[in-house]
Amino acid sequence: MEVDWSVVPGFLPQLAAGARVTILIALAGLIGGTILGLIAGLMRAYGGRVINAIAFVYIELIRGTPIVVQVMFLYFAMPILLGIRMDPMSAAILAIVVNAGAYIAEIVRGAFLSIPRGLTEAGLAMGLPQWKVLTHIVGPLAFRRLIPPLGNQFIVSLKDTSLFIVIGVGELTRTGQEIMASNFRAVEIWTAVAVLYLIMTGTLTFILRVIEKRMRIL
Amino acid sequence: MSIIEFHKTSKHFGDLKVLDEVDLAIEEGEVVVLIGPSGSGKSTLLRCINGLEQITGGDLIVDGISVRAGGRKLRQIRQEAGMVFQQFNLFPQMTALQNVAFGPRKVRGLSRAEAESQALLLLEKVGLKERAHHVPSALSGGQQQRVAIARALAVRPKVMLFDEPTSALDPELKQEVLNVMRQLAQEGMTMVVVTHEMSFARQVGSRLIFMEHGKISVDGHPAEVIANPPSDRLRDFLQHVE
Repeated sequence: MEVDWSVVPGFLPQLAAGARVTILIALAGLIGGTILGLIAGLMRAYGGRVINAIAFVYIELIRGTPIVVQVMFLYFAMPILLGIRMDPMSAAILAIVVNAGAYIAEIVRGAFLSIPRGLTEAGLAMGLPQWKVLTHIVGPLAFRRLIPPLGNQFIVSLKDTSLFIVIGVGELTRTGQEIMASNFRAVEIWTAVAVLYLIMTGTLTFILRVIEKRMRIL
Repeated sequence: MSIIEFHKTSKHFGDLKVLDEVDLAIEEGEVVVLIGPSGSGKSTLLRCINGLEQITGGDLIVDGISVRAGGRKLRQIRQEAGMVFQQFNLFPQMTALQNVAFGPRKVRGLSRAEAESQALLLLEKVGLKERAHHVPSALSGGQQQRVAIARALAVRPKVMLFDEPTSALDPELKQEVLNVMRQLAQEGMTMVVVTHEMSFARQVGSRLIFMEHGKISVDGHPAEVIANPPSDRLRDFLQHVE
Protein backbone atom coordinates (compact mmCIF):
# COMPACT_ATOMS: atom_id res chain seq x y z
CA MET A 1 0.00 0.00 0.00
CA GLU A 2 1.42 3.35 -1.00
CA VAL A 3 1.48 6.40 1.21
CA ASP A 4 -1.17 8.78 -0.07
CA TRP A 5 -1.47 12.08 1.84
CA SER A 6 -4.51 13.11 -0.19
CA VAL A 7 -6.71 10.95 2.06
CA VAL A 8 -5.98 13.13 5.08
CA PRO A 9 -8.04 16.27 4.24
CA GLY A 10 -11.18 14.18 3.94
CA PHE A 11 -10.82 13.02 7.54
CA LEU A 12 -9.80 16.38 8.98
CA PRO A 13 -13.28 17.40 10.18
CA GLN A 14 -13.56 14.10 12.05
CA LEU A 15 -10.05 14.47 13.52
CA ALA A 16 -10.75 18.09 14.46
CA ALA A 17 -13.86 16.94 16.33
CA GLY A 18 -11.68 14.45 18.22
CA ALA A 19 -9.13 17.16 18.96
CA ARG A 20 -11.94 19.33 20.33
CA VAL A 21 -12.89 16.59 22.78
CA THR A 22 -9.23 16.26 23.78
CA ILE A 23 -9.01 20.01 24.43
CA LEU A 24 -12.24 19.99 26.40
CA ILE A 25 -11.07 17.15 28.67
CA ALA A 26 -7.63 18.72 29.14
CA LEU A 27 -8.99 22.21 29.80
CA ALA A 28 -11.67 21.18 32.28
CA GLY A 29 -9.38 18.60 33.86
CA LEU A 30 -6.47 21.00 34.26
CA ILE A 31 -8.57 23.83 35.70
CA GLY A 32 -9.90 21.40 38.29
CA GLY A 33 -6.51 19.79 38.75
CA THR A 34 -4.81 23.13 39.34
CA ILE A 35 -7.36 24.09 41.99
CA LEU A 36 -7.12 20.66 43.65
CA GLY A 37 -3.32 20.71 43.40
CA LEU A 38 -3.15 24.17 44.94
CA ILE A 39 -5.27 23.05 47.89
CA ALA A 40 -3.42 19.75 48.39
CA GLY A 41 -0.02 21.42 47.95
CA LEU A 42 -0.79 24.10 50.54
CA MET A 43 -2.13 21.40 52.88
CA ARG A 44 1.21 19.63 52.52
CA ALA A 45 3.26 22.77 52.97
CA TYR A 46 1.39 24.46 55.81
CA GLY A 47 -1.10 21.98 57.26
CA GLY A 48 -0.88 20.41 60.68
CA ARG A 49 -0.09 16.74 61.05
CA VAL A 50 -3.56 15.42 60.14
CA ILE A 51 -4.16 17.77 57.21
CA ASN A 52 -0.70 17.06 55.89
CA ALA A 53 -1.28 13.29 56.17
CA ILE A 54 -4.56 13.47 54.24
CA ALA A 55 -2.87 15.31 51.36
CA PHE A 56 0.11 12.96 51.50
CA VAL A 57 -2.05 9.84 51.21
CA TYR A 58 -3.94 11.31 48.25
CA ILE A 59 -0.74 12.25 46.44
CA GLU A 60 0.94 8.91 47.04
CA LEU A 61 -2.17 6.98 46.00
CA ILE A 62 -2.32 8.80 42.69
CA ARG A 63 1.40 8.95 41.95
CA GLY A 64 1.73 5.28 42.80
CA THR A 65 -0.88 4.01 40.32
CA PRO A 66 -1.14 4.36 36.51
CA ILE A 67 -3.67 6.83 35.15
CA VAL A 68 -5.29 4.04 33.07
CA VAL A 69 -6.03 2.12 36.27
CA GLN A 70 -7.37 5.31 37.84
CA VAL A 71 -9.83 6.00 35.04
CA MET A 72 -10.87 2.34 34.87
CA PHE A 73 -11.53 2.52 38.59
CA LEU A 74 -13.60 5.69 38.24
CA TYR A 75 -15.57 4.35 35.31
CA PHE A 76 -16.05 0.66 36.17
CA ALA A 77 -15.46 0.27 39.91
CA MET A 78 -17.19 3.37 41.29
CA PRO A 79 -20.67 2.28 40.10
CA ILE A 80 -20.25 -1.01 41.98
CA LEU A 81 -18.60 0.45 45.09
CA LEU A 82 -20.62 3.62 45.60
CA GLY A 83 -23.37 3.35 43.04
CA ILE A 84 -21.98 6.42 41.28
CA ARG A 85 -22.33 5.97 37.54
CA MET A 86 -20.82 8.53 35.22
CA ASP A 87 -20.51 8.94 31.47
CA PRO A 88 -17.09 8.38 29.89
CA MET A 89 -16.53 12.09 29.40
CA SER A 90 -17.05 12.90 33.09
CA ALA A 91 -14.86 9.99 34.12
CA ALA A 92 -12.12 11.25 31.80
CA ILE A 93 -12.26 14.82 33.13
CA LEU A 94 -12.35 13.60 36.73
CA ALA A 95 -9.36 11.34 36.07
CA ILE A 96 -7.31 14.31 34.82
CA VAL A 97 -8.43 16.45 37.78
CA VAL A 98 -7.42 13.82 40.31
CA ASN A 99 -4.24 12.76 38.51
CA ALA A 100 -2.89 16.20 37.60
CA GLY A 101 -3.95 17.48 41.03
CA ALA A 102 -1.53 15.11 42.75
CA TYR A 103 1.45 16.11 40.64
CA ILE A 104 0.56 19.81 40.78
CA ALA A 105 0.30 19.53 44.58
CA GLU A 106 3.96 18.59 44.74
CA ILE A 107 4.86 21.41 42.34
CA VAL A 108 2.95 23.89 44.50
CA ARG A 109 4.50 22.60 47.72
CA GLY A 110 7.99 22.85 46.24
CA ALA A 111 7.44 26.36 44.91
CA PHE A 112 6.02 27.72 48.17
CA LEU A 113 8.69 26.10 50.32
CA SER A 114 11.44 27.43 48.06
CA ILE A 115 10.61 31.03 49.03
CA PRO A 116 13.06 32.10 51.75
CA ARG A 117 11.67 31.76 55.26
CA GLY A 118 12.90 35.28 56.07
CA LEU A 119 10.26 36.86 53.80
CA THR A 120 7.49 35.09 55.69
CA GLU A 121 9.03 36.25 58.95
CA ALA A 122 9.24 39.82 57.68
CA GLY A 123 5.54 39.71 56.86
CA LEU A 124 4.56 38.11 60.17
CA ALA A 125 6.75 40.57 62.09
CA MET A 126 4.66 43.45 60.70
CA GLY A 127 1.58 41.90 62.24
CA LEU A 128 0.11 40.31 59.12
CA PRO A 129 -1.91 37.13 59.58
CA GLN A 130 -0.39 34.01 57.99
CA TRP A 131 -2.94 33.91 55.16
CA LYS A 132 -2.11 37.47 54.11
CA VAL A 133 1.58 36.60 54.10
CA LEU A 134 0.74 33.73 51.75
CA THR A 135 -1.52 35.68 49.41
CA HIS A 136 0.50 38.92 49.28
CA ILE A 137 4.13 37.92 49.71
CA VAL A 138 4.90 34.23 49.31
CA GLY A 139 2.14 33.43 46.79
CA PRO A 140 3.14 35.94 44.09
CA LEU A 141 6.79 34.84 44.38
CA ALA A 142 5.93 31.13 44.37
CA PHE A 143 3.67 31.62 41.35
CA ARG A 144 6.64 32.73 39.25
CA ARG A 145 8.55 29.59 40.17
CA LEU A 146 5.47 27.49 39.55
CA ILE A 147 5.07 28.29 35.88
CA PRO A 148 7.79 26.14 34.25
CA PRO A 149 6.97 22.86 36.07
CA LEU A 150 3.25 23.59 35.84
CA GLY A 151 3.57 23.97 32.07
CA ASN A 152 5.32 20.64 31.94
CA GLN A 153 2.48 19.00 33.86
CA PHE A 154 -0.12 20.61 31.57
CA ILE A 155 1.58 19.06 28.55
CA VAL A 156 1.83 15.63 30.21
CA SER A 157 -1.85 15.74 31.19
CA LEU A 158 -2.93 16.86 27.73
CA LYS A 159 -1.21 13.84 26.23
CA ASP A 160 -2.54 11.56 28.97
CA THR A 161 -6.05 12.16 27.62
CA SER A 162 -5.13 9.77 24.79
CA LEU A 163 -5.25 6.94 27.35
CA PHE A 164 -9.00 7.45 27.75
CA ILE A 165 -9.34 5.41 24.59
CA VAL A 166 -9.80 2.56 27.11
CA ILE A 167 -13.19 3.84 28.28
CA GLY A 168 -14.32 4.83 24.80
CA VAL A 169 -14.14 8.61 24.97
CA GLY A 170 -14.19 9.99 21.42
CA GLU A 171 -11.03 12.08 21.80
CA LEU A 172 -8.33 12.51 19.19
CA THR A 173 -6.49 9.20 19.57
CA ARG A 174 -9.71 7.19 19.57
CA THR A 175 -10.92 9.08 16.50
CA GLY A 176 -7.66 8.21 14.75
CA GLN A 177 -8.09 4.58 15.76
CA GLU A 178 -11.63 4.50 14.37
CA ILE A 179 -10.60 5.98 11.03
CA MET A 180 -7.69 3.53 10.86
CA ALA A 181 -10.01 0.59 11.38
CA SER A 182 -11.98 1.54 8.29
CA ASN A 183 -9.20 2.36 5.83
CA PHE A 184 -5.88 1.04 7.24
CA ARG A 185 -4.07 4.29 6.32
CA ALA A 186 -1.73 3.95 9.31
CA VAL A 187 1.05 6.31 8.15
CA GLU A 188 -1.23 9.10 7.03
CA ILE A 189 -3.71 9.00 9.91
CA TRP A 190 -1.21 8.58 12.76
CA THR A 191 0.95 11.33 11.27
CA ALA A 192 -2.07 13.62 11.17
CA VAL A 193 -2.96 12.69 14.76
CA ALA A 194 0.60 13.34 15.91
CA VAL A 195 0.68 16.72 14.16
CA LEU A 196 -2.58 17.73 15.82
CA TYR A 197 -1.14 16.83 19.25
CA LEU A 198 1.98 18.83 18.41
CA ILE A 199 -0.11 21.85 17.50
CA MET A 200 -1.91 21.63 20.85
CA THR A 201 1.21 21.14 22.97
CA GLY A 202 3.05 23.75 20.90
CA THR A 203 0.32 26.29 21.60
CA LEU A 204 0.58 25.51 25.33
CA THR A 205 4.35 25.93 25.25
CA PHE A 206 3.99 29.24 23.46
CA ILE A 207 1.45 30.60 25.97
CA LEU A 208 3.66 29.56 28.88
CA ARG A 209 6.70 31.19 27.33
CA VAL A 210 4.81 34.46 26.95
CA ILE A 211 3.71 34.36 30.59
CA GLU A 212 7.23 33.51 31.72
CA LYS A 213 8.72 36.37 29.73
CA ARG A 214 6.30 38.82 31.25
CA MET A 215 7.09 37.70 34.78
CA ARG A 216 10.66 37.75 35.88
CA ILE A 217 11.59 34.86 38.14
CA LEU A 218 12.70 36.51 41.38
CA MET B 1 4.77 49.16 83.75
CA SER B 2 7.70 48.34 81.52
CA ILE B 3 7.16 48.07 77.80
CA ILE B 4 8.80 44.62 77.67
CA GLU B 5 8.78 42.26 80.65
CA PHE B 6 10.38 38.83 80.73
CA HIS B 7 9.14 36.74 83.65
CA LYS B 8 11.23 33.59 84.09
CA THR B 9 11.01 33.20 80.33
CA SER B 10 12.37 29.94 78.92
CA LYS B 11 12.73 28.65 75.39
CA HIS B 12 13.55 25.06 74.49
CA PHE B 13 14.30 23.61 71.09
CA GLY B 14 13.61 19.98 71.88
CA ASP B 15 15.98 19.12 74.70
CA LEU B 16 18.10 22.18 74.09
CA LYS B 17 17.48 25.03 76.53
CA VAL B 18 18.17 28.26 74.64
CA LEU B 19 16.65 30.67 77.17
CA ASP B 20 16.85 29.71 80.82
CA GLU B 21 14.33 31.50 83.04
CA VAL B 22 15.26 34.99 81.93
CA ASP B 23 13.99 37.93 84.01
CA LEU B 24 14.30 41.27 82.30
CA ALA B 25 12.36 44.52 82.13
CA ILE B 26 12.92 47.05 79.37
CA GLU B 27 11.63 50.61 79.81
CA GLU B 28 10.37 52.97 77.14
CA GLY B 29 13.16 55.00 75.58
CA GLU B 30 15.90 52.53 76.45
CA VAL B 31 18.40 51.41 73.85
CA VAL B 32 19.32 47.91 74.97
CA VAL B 33 22.30 46.30 73.26
CA LEU B 34 22.43 42.50 73.47
CA ILE B 35 25.80 40.84 73.04
CA GLY B 36 27.12 37.36 73.61
CA PRO B 37 28.82 34.43 71.96
CA SER B 38 26.90 32.57 69.24
CA GLY B 39 24.40 30.17 70.74
CA SER B 40 24.07 32.25 73.91
CA GLY B 41 20.40 32.94 73.12
CA LYS B 42 20.55 36.65 72.24
CA SER B 43 18.77 36.33 68.88
CA THR B 44 16.24 33.93 70.37
CA LEU B 45 15.54 36.39 73.17
CA LEU B 46 14.87 39.08 70.58
CA ARG B 47 12.68 36.82 68.43
CA CYS B 48 10.57 35.81 71.42
CA ILE B 49 9.55 39.44 71.93
CA ASN B 50 7.47 39.45 68.73
CA GLY B 51 6.57 35.79 68.87
CA LEU B 52 8.67 34.62 65.91
CA GLU B 53 9.86 32.08 68.46
CA GLN B 54 7.30 30.71 70.88
CA ILE B 55 8.33 30.75 74.50
CA THR B 56 8.09 27.39 76.27
CA GLY B 57 8.19 28.54 79.89
CA GLY B 58 7.37 31.56 82.03
CA ASP B 59 5.74 34.61 80.48
CA LEU B 60 6.68 37.57 78.32
CA ILE B 61 4.58 40.73 78.32
CA VAL B 62 4.94 43.32 75.55
CA ASP B 63 3.06 46.61 75.93
CA GLY B 64 0.69 44.92 78.38
CA ILE B 65 -0.04 41.87 76.21
CA SER B 66 1.33 38.36 76.78
CA VAL B 67 3.01 36.78 73.77
CA ARG B 68 1.24 33.60 74.84
CA ALA B 69 -2.13 35.12 73.90
CA GLY B 70 -1.54 34.24 70.23
CA GLY B 71 -3.78 35.12 67.26
CA ARG B 72 -5.00 38.70 67.07
CA LYS B 73 -3.26 39.69 70.32
CA LEU B 74 0.08 38.48 69.04
CA ARG B 75 -0.44 40.40 65.79
CA GLN B 76 -1.12 43.48 67.92
CA ILE B 77 2.24 42.98 69.65
CA ARG B 78 3.92 42.60 66.28
CA GLN B 79 2.48 45.91 65.10
CA GLU B 80 4.01 47.55 68.17
CA ALA B 81 7.40 45.85 67.73
CA GLY B 82 9.02 46.42 64.34
CA MET B 83 11.82 44.08 63.37
CA VAL B 84 14.95 44.48 61.24
CA PHE B 85 16.68 41.30 60.12
CA GLN B 86 20.29 40.41 59.38
CA GLN B 87 19.34 39.39 55.83
CA PHE B 88 17.13 42.49 55.21
CA ASN B 89 14.28 40.29 53.91
CA LEU B 90 12.86 42.96 51.61
CA PHE B 91 10.06 41.73 49.36
CA PRO B 92 11.87 41.26 46.04
CA GLN B 93 8.83 41.76 43.80
CA MET B 94 8.20 45.25 45.18
CA THR B 95 10.05 48.55 44.84
CA ALA B 96 11.56 50.23 47.90
CA LEU B 97 8.48 52.45 48.12
CA GLN B 98 6.07 49.51 47.85
CA ASN B 99 8.03 47.64 50.52
CA VAL B 100 7.68 50.56 52.93
CA ALA B 101 4.03 51.24 52.04
CA PHE B 102 3.08 47.56 52.32
CA GLY B 103 2.70 47.35 56.10
CA PRO B 104 0.57 50.48 56.50
CA ARG B 105 -1.71 49.32 53.68
CA LYS B 106 -2.17 45.72 54.73
CA VAL B 107 -1.84 46.04 58.51
CA ARG B 108 -3.08 49.54 59.30
CA GLY B 109 -5.55 49.67 56.40
CA LEU B 110 -4.31 52.91 54.82
CA SER B 111 -5.12 53.75 51.21
CA ARG B 112 -2.35 53.29 48.67
CA ALA B 113 -1.93 57.07 48.20
CA GLU B 114 -1.73 57.73 51.93
CA ALA B 115 0.62 54.84 52.56
CA GLU B 116 2.92 55.83 49.71
CA SER B 117 3.15 59.48 50.68
CA GLN B 118 4.11 58.39 54.22
CA ALA B 119 6.52 55.84 52.82
CA LEU B 120 8.24 58.53 50.79
CA LEU B 121 8.81 60.60 53.94
CA LEU B 122 10.32 57.57 55.69
CA LEU B 123 12.58 56.85 52.73
CA GLU B 124 13.68 60.47 52.87
CA LYS B 125 14.44 60.04 56.55
CA VAL B 126 16.76 57.12 55.81
CA GLY B 127 18.29 59.04 52.91
CA LEU B 128 16.81 57.00 50.06
CA LYS B 129 14.10 59.19 48.59
CA GLU B 130 15.71 59.08 45.15
CA ARG B 131 15.88 55.28 45.28
CA ALA B 132 12.14 54.90 45.99
CA HIS B 133 11.34 53.23 42.70
CA HIS B 134 14.22 50.77 42.66
CA VAL B 135 13.65 47.09 43.41
CA PRO B 136 15.76 45.61 46.23
CA SER B 137 18.11 43.77 43.86
CA ALA B 138 19.12 47.14 42.39
CA LEU B 139 20.15 48.47 45.81
CA SER B 140 23.33 47.93 47.82
CA GLY B 141 23.18 45.96 51.07
CA GLY B 142 23.34 49.11 53.16
CA GLN B 143 20.56 50.70 51.15
CA GLN B 144 18.44 47.57 51.44
CA GLN B 145 18.85 47.56 55.19
CA ARG B 146 17.87 51.23 55.41
CA VAL B 147 14.74 50.46 53.38
CA ALA B 148 14.07 47.59 55.80
CA ILE B 149 14.31 49.99 58.74
CA ALA B 150 11.90 52.37 56.99
CA ARG B 151 9.56 49.44 56.32
CA ALA B 152 9.53 48.48 59.99
CA LEU B 153 8.99 52.11 61.08
CA ALA B 154 6.10 52.51 58.65
CA VAL B 155 3.82 50.37 60.82
CA ARG B 156 4.48 52.93 63.62
CA PRO B 157 5.85 50.57 66.26
CA LYS B 158 6.65 51.56 69.84
CA VAL B 159 9.73 49.33 69.93
CA MET B 160 12.27 48.42 67.26
CA LEU B 161 14.01 45.05 67.35
CA PHE B 162 17.28 44.73 65.45
CA ASP B 163 18.69 41.24 64.83
CA GLU B 164 22.35 41.70 63.83
CA PRO B 165 21.40 44.45 61.36
CA THR B 166 24.95 45.07 60.11
CA SER B 167 26.42 41.56 60.19
CA ALA B 168 25.77 40.92 56.49
CA LEU B 169 27.28 44.25 55.40
CA ASP B 170 30.71 45.35 54.24
CA PRO B 171 32.46 47.61 56.76
CA GLU B 172 31.93 50.78 54.75
CA LEU B 173 28.20 50.06 54.39
CA LYS B 174 27.74 49.37 58.11
CA GLN B 175 28.11 53.04 59.02
CA GLU B 176 25.19 54.25 56.94
CA VAL B 177 22.91 51.76 58.70
CA LEU B 178 24.34 52.54 62.14
CA ASN B 179 23.84 56.26 61.49
CA VAL B 180 20.15 55.71 60.83
CA MET B 181 19.90 53.66 64.03
CA ARG B 182 21.73 56.36 65.98
CA GLN B 183 19.27 58.95 64.69
CA LEU B 184 16.34 56.75 65.77
CA ALA B 185 17.78 56.39 69.25
CA GLN B 186 18.18 60.18 69.51
CA GLU B 187 14.51 60.57 68.64
CA GLY B 188 13.68 58.48 71.69
CA MET B 189 12.73 55.19 70.03
CA THR B 190 12.86 52.17 72.32
CA MET B 191 15.34 49.76 70.75
CA VAL B 192 16.61 46.26 71.42
CA VAL B 193 19.67 45.57 69.32
CA VAL B 194 21.59 42.32 68.88
CA THR B 195 24.96 43.35 67.49
CA HIS B 196 28.74 42.98 67.63
CA GLU B 197 29.27 46.70 66.99
CA MET B 198 30.85 47.71 70.30
CA SER B 199 31.33 51.33 69.30
CA PHE B 200 27.61 51.57 68.63
CA ALA B 201 26.91 49.93 72.00
CA ARG B 202 29.17 52.41 73.76
CA GLN B 203 27.96 55.56 71.99
CA VAL B 204 24.27 54.85 71.48
CA GLY B 205 23.30 52.14 73.94
CA SER B 206 21.76 53.07 77.28
CA ARG B 207 22.12 49.52 78.55
CA LEU B 208 24.35 46.60 77.70
CA ILE B 209 23.36 42.99 78.29
CA PHE B 210 25.83 40.14 77.97
CA MET B 211 24.27 36.71 77.53
CA GLU B 212 25.78 33.31 78.20
CA HIS B 213 24.13 29.88 78.02
CA GLY B 214 20.61 31.30 77.77
CA LYS B 215 21.01 33.56 80.79
CA ILE B 216 21.77 37.23 81.31
CA SER B 217 25.19 37.27 82.90
CA VAL B 218 25.95 41.00 82.83
CA ASP B 219 23.47 43.90 82.69
CA GLY B 220 24.76 47.44 83.04
CA HIS B 221 25.67 50.76 81.53
CA PRO B 222 27.61 50.20 78.29
CA ALA B 223 30.57 52.53 78.93
CA GLU B 224 31.06 51.22 82.47
CA VAL B 225 30.68 47.58 81.58
CA ILE B 226 33.04 47.86 78.61
CA ALA B 227 35.65 49.83 80.59
CA ASN B 228 35.43 47.50 83.59
CA PRO B 229 34.08 44.08 82.58
CA PRO B 230 32.64 42.49 85.73
CA SER B 231 33.40 38.95 84.51
CA ASP B 232 36.41 37.28 82.88
CA ARG B 233 34.15 35.74 80.27
CA LEU B 234 32.93 39.19 79.19
CA ARG B 235 36.50 40.53 79.15
CA ASP B 236 37.50 37.66 76.81
CA PHE B 237 34.48 38.26 74.65
CA LEU B 238 35.15 42.00 74.32
CA GLN B 239 38.74 41.32 73.31
CA HIS B 240 37.54 39.07 70.51
CA VAL B 241 34.96 41.42 69.03
CA GLU B 242 37.01 44.62 69.15
